[in-house]
Amino acid sequence: MWNRNEQTICAISTPHGVGGIAVIRVSGSEALSICKRISKSLSKKQSILSHRAYFSEIIDLQSNKVDEAVVTYFAQGKSFTGEEVVEISCHGSRFITQQILDLLIHCGCRMADRGEFTFRAFMNGKLDLVQAESVLSLIESQSQASAKVALRQLEGHVSKEFEFLISDLTWSLAHIEASIDFTEQGVEVVDSRILIEKLKKIELALKKLTTSYQLGRIIKDGIRVALIGEPNVGKSSILNLLLQSDKSIVTPIAGTTRDVVDGEINYQGVKYSISDTAGLRDTQDQVEIIGIDRSRKEAEKADILCFVFDCSEKNWNRSLMLAQQLNNSKKIFLLNKADTIREEDRAALMAKLGEQHKAFFTSALTPQSREGIFAAIKSAVGSLEYLDEAMLSSARQYEQANYSLEMISKSILELELNTGAEFVAMYLKESLISLQKILGQVYDDQIMDRVFKEFCLGK
Amino acid sequence: MDGTKAKSFVNFTFPTTTDVEFFFASSILAEFSRTGQYVEKRYDIIVVGAGHAGVEACLAASRLGLKTLLVTTNLNRIAYMSCNPSIGGLAKGHMVREVDILGGQMGAAADQSCIQFKRLNSSRGPAVRGSRAQCDKHIYSDLQKAVLKSQPNLVLFESEVKRLLLNGKNCEGVVLQDGSEIHSKAVVITTGTFMNGVMHFGLKQISGGRIGDQASIGLSDQLAHFGFEVKRLKTGTPARLHRDSIDWSKTSPQYGDETFYPFSHASKKNFYLRQVACYLSHTNERTHEIIRANLDKSPMFCGIIEGIGPRYCPSIEDKITRFSERAAHQTFLEPEGLNSDLIYLQGISTSLPEEVQEQFLKTIPGLENVKVVRYGYAVEYDYVEPTQIFHRLETRPIENLFLAGQINGTSGYEEAAAQGFIAGVNAAHKILGREEFILDRDKAYAGVLVDDLVTKGTREPYRMFTSRAEHRLVLREDNTIDRLSEISRKLGIVSVENLDKLSEIILKRQALIQRLEETVIYPKSETNALVESLGSAPLLKPLKLTEFLRRPEVAFSALTKLGFTYENNSDVVDAVEIEVKYSGYIKKQNQIIDQTKRFEQATLPPQIDFFSIKGLSSEEVDKLTRVKPRTLGQALRISGVNPSALQAIMIYLKGRNELNI
Repeated sequence: MWNRNEQTICAISTPHGVGGIAVIRVSGSEALSICKRISKSLSKKQSILSHRAYFSEIIDLQSNKVDEAVVTYFAQGKSFTGEEVVEISCHGSRFITQQILDLLIHCGCRMADRGEFTFRAFMNGKLDLVQAESVLSLIESQSQASAKVALRQLEGHVSKEFEFLISDLTWSLAHIEASIDFTEQGVEVVDSRILIEKLKKIELALKKLTTSYQLGRIIKDGIRVALIGEPNVGKSSILNLLLQSDKSIVTPIAGTTRDVVDGEINYQGVKYSISDTAGLRDTQDQVEIIGIDRSRKEAEKADILCFVFDCSEKNWNRSLMLAQQLNNSKKIFLLNKADTIREEDRAALMAKLGEQHKAFFTSALTPQSREGIFAAIKSAVGSLEYLDEAMLSSARQYEQANYSLEMISKSILELELNTGAEFVAMYLKESLISLQKILGQVYDDQIMDRVFKEFCLGK
Repeated sequence: MDGTKAKSFVNFTFPTTTDVEFFFASSILAEFSRTGQYVEKRYDIIVVGAGHAGVEACLAASRLGLKTLLVTTNLNRIAYMSCNPSIGGLAKGHMVREVDILGGQMGAAADQSCIQFKRLNSSRGPAVRGSRAQCDKHIYSDLQKAVLKSQPNLVLFESEVKRLLLNGKNCEGVVLQDGSEIHSKAVVITTGTFMNGVMHFGLKQISGGRIGDQASIGLSDQLAHFGFEVKRLKTGTPARLHRDSIDWSKTSPQYGDETFYPFSHASKKNFYLRQVACYLSHTNERTHEIIRANLDKSPMFCGIIEGIGPRYCPSIEDKITRFSERAAHQTFLEPEGLNSDLIYLQGISTSLPEEVQEQFLKTIPGLENVKVVRYGYAVEYDYVEPTQIFHRLETRPIENLFLAGQINGTSGYEEAAAQGFIAGVNAAHKILGREEFILDRDKAYAGVLVDDLVTKGTREPYRMFTSRAEHRLVLREDNTIDRLSEISRKLGIVSVENLDKLSEIILKRQALIQRLEETVIYPKSETNALVESLGSAPLLKPLKLTEFLRRPEVAFSALTKLGFTYENNSDVVDAVEIEVKYSGYIKKQNQIIDQTKRFEQATLPPQIDFFSIKGLSSEEVDKLTRVKPRTLGQALRISGVNPSALQAIMIYLKGRNELNI
């Protein structure tokens, strides 16, 4: 019978392109028998041990030598996917890898779909959902920080955090259910204040997790920074300084930048995507109007909005008003061309901006400013120290955790209003289920088991 | 045998003239039973066992017009309460009402024998309130027997069924103790704790399913031999004490409710019998010490009993071992009847030897000089793992064989009655060629019960709890008629007149809700003065009465102050008030359920081969193959089947274009 999920799959596991070595992974019930047909030493061996690497010639069906390779065998149940796996480390030439893949397919393999190895690992219970997602994040991580988050997920730190919450929620729900179903049996029902206290702790933990998602996404995708301001305040110079390239055209003419200019840079382990934008001003120029519109959109989209001022400019209020019109909660002010004014004028400027704004003096023409700007952006994002705590990194996890949070807040409200245990139970159960969905578990009879464990019941 | 109630009801029916004629006409096919009743050799349906399941099963079948035979080993123990003398309770009371609306008998008998009535959880929300009636167990049993005896199409017969008459995989009747055969188109087995029943008194064991009654030997061996998975369960019962030997002054009386809320739609609204009190007392450290010192004489603790007992109804030795920190356990002293001398000692079930029971009972306040009439004991019995039956309660391996009650691993009279009714109806429907009778999980606790059993199976005696129902907020006692009267009409057991009366109430409820929805109150000063006098916040904008009623502090009766007039009929008003007040929560619950509904609607092809689905563990393949879920939703409810398995099944079906989701 033809079933895609039963077929043995193969794919190159190393990055595409020419490399010294490429690894081809074969997974499925026929992995070994197929590989025996193209590997000279495997075909001769009486017993092949799991987790053992064998040096072998790779041969085609006419027994012509294709390559020399190291072949590693992982027995069923002991591999990443949980299936029988063979990994062929061959030479990285595109021609050779393609030839080996062709051979494998000829012998009965199918090319693996994207993420299929991980999918199979999940299906075979080798990973929970969070871990499975983290594998993809890990592969795709483009900076040290994002790799760290993904790795922590794969290690199960996030899963563990959820398991704690699930356990606490289960406890609470068990007590609520017992108070309903065993009311006449002298069951000592936990005081609702204690329950509220416990639930509030879970609520807080969930809040932290959901907030961390925002951070997690930034770390994974990079911090999106928009440089916004009036024309000719030095936005393009700042972009070039940060990227250390001449990406944006810099002239003394106001309105030089007409469209959004993007650049990415990995600075001290964190990825930044920085956009330089057209200066904001009233203009009749059709092209410039479109450009300014794009600037505003960019300002809204950005994780961090850097509003750039020209310190030497006298008309402050107009600039400040423009800044206030822009819709973004994370706004910092870069007071550029700081080298052109005196120390006491700087203090006056700061005073004018007021306490509520984060402002930094910069000078796009002095390389030392670069470090300061990155530091300012990073601090505006929030504490990256969160990296050491559990963090969500997929939209799916975030949605479920957020819903769980919403439900738990509702259950606390019902408890506080003393409306009825059955309502508290309904919300708590929902909260619990969504947490279990994050890990790919299902709601089971846990509650009853817990009830029986904790309560002395008698009919 | 009960001390007070000697064999008061001997079933001795001499044939009437027409019966005699019939008897002689069919003399080859009929013979006299031990009790003098004659029994023919051919029926539509044979029901084995006359407990709470058997009674409902034979009534449902005969009321649907089928010629039914009830075989029991003891005609004096029909619908007998072998353990606690009460009917109902949380979630159980719900089921009694459900069975009643559909045409069952338990509710009416409980109402008419009720000697103390209570609505449990009355301080909690209406969905989790449950009615419970302490009953005079003798009156209850007599009432049920009288109903059976006057039921057309039904014959009662005292004998023991030794085995089934099988023709290949088809059940065609039963073989009795004396070797005689009775043929039928279907058989319903409701043998309770009697299949290979063993009673434990300390380390002493006696064969039997209940004190004074013999065990049924042979039937479960035949089932096991046929390939059924037959396992052991255990249950227990406390001692019965003599009323006059108790010092009541040392206990505190517990009274029932003054308002009666009868189970049956056909009962009157006033108590049928005098209402009495139960009495509360407690164990203490001395009690516990004695029990602890004698644990080695408990069959539970020295491994003699292999069956698994109910965790929610543990024996006293279990309680003090598992919760050693508790210094006292409560016990209710419940009369077994108005004229009975026996007191049931609720909460103290035990299988310790008689002399130990004697010793520890006397430490309980009020029982210092107690006279034990019957000691507590444990019963071990065979049950059939219920994943082997269909939702219609017919077994998968043997056609035309239906199982109901404790044989399916449940505990409780109400659980038994619900299954008995469903099995009786389905046996009849099968013979009549009608469609199978299955209650959905969102329609009735009885539906939850059956679906849980056949989907998840059970390892301990299964008891219904409100938390087992994901539709808890809509499965209420007050809306039983709204949920089930149309289904009942289709079923055709309850009389049309009675159903019309129920329809009238439903229509009145709907009309009242409609009026509340259409009536608007305005934020005028005199209105707001009234509103504030109710302890509620003044209106800021016009409000529908339905919205106003949703305020927790506003009771329905307060609406009269605002000029709203209505007929004060509690059957109508109470349910409407609940429906309106609950509506926000019900909406939320429905949203939650909608998310999983598509799984419930995705049917699985009956020929699906789980072995060929990649990604299922062997345990999952095993469970799925055994349960043969009808839908993806049911597959998901099987314990031990992981969501990844569901994913795998969906992928498999998608690949074969068989997924209708």
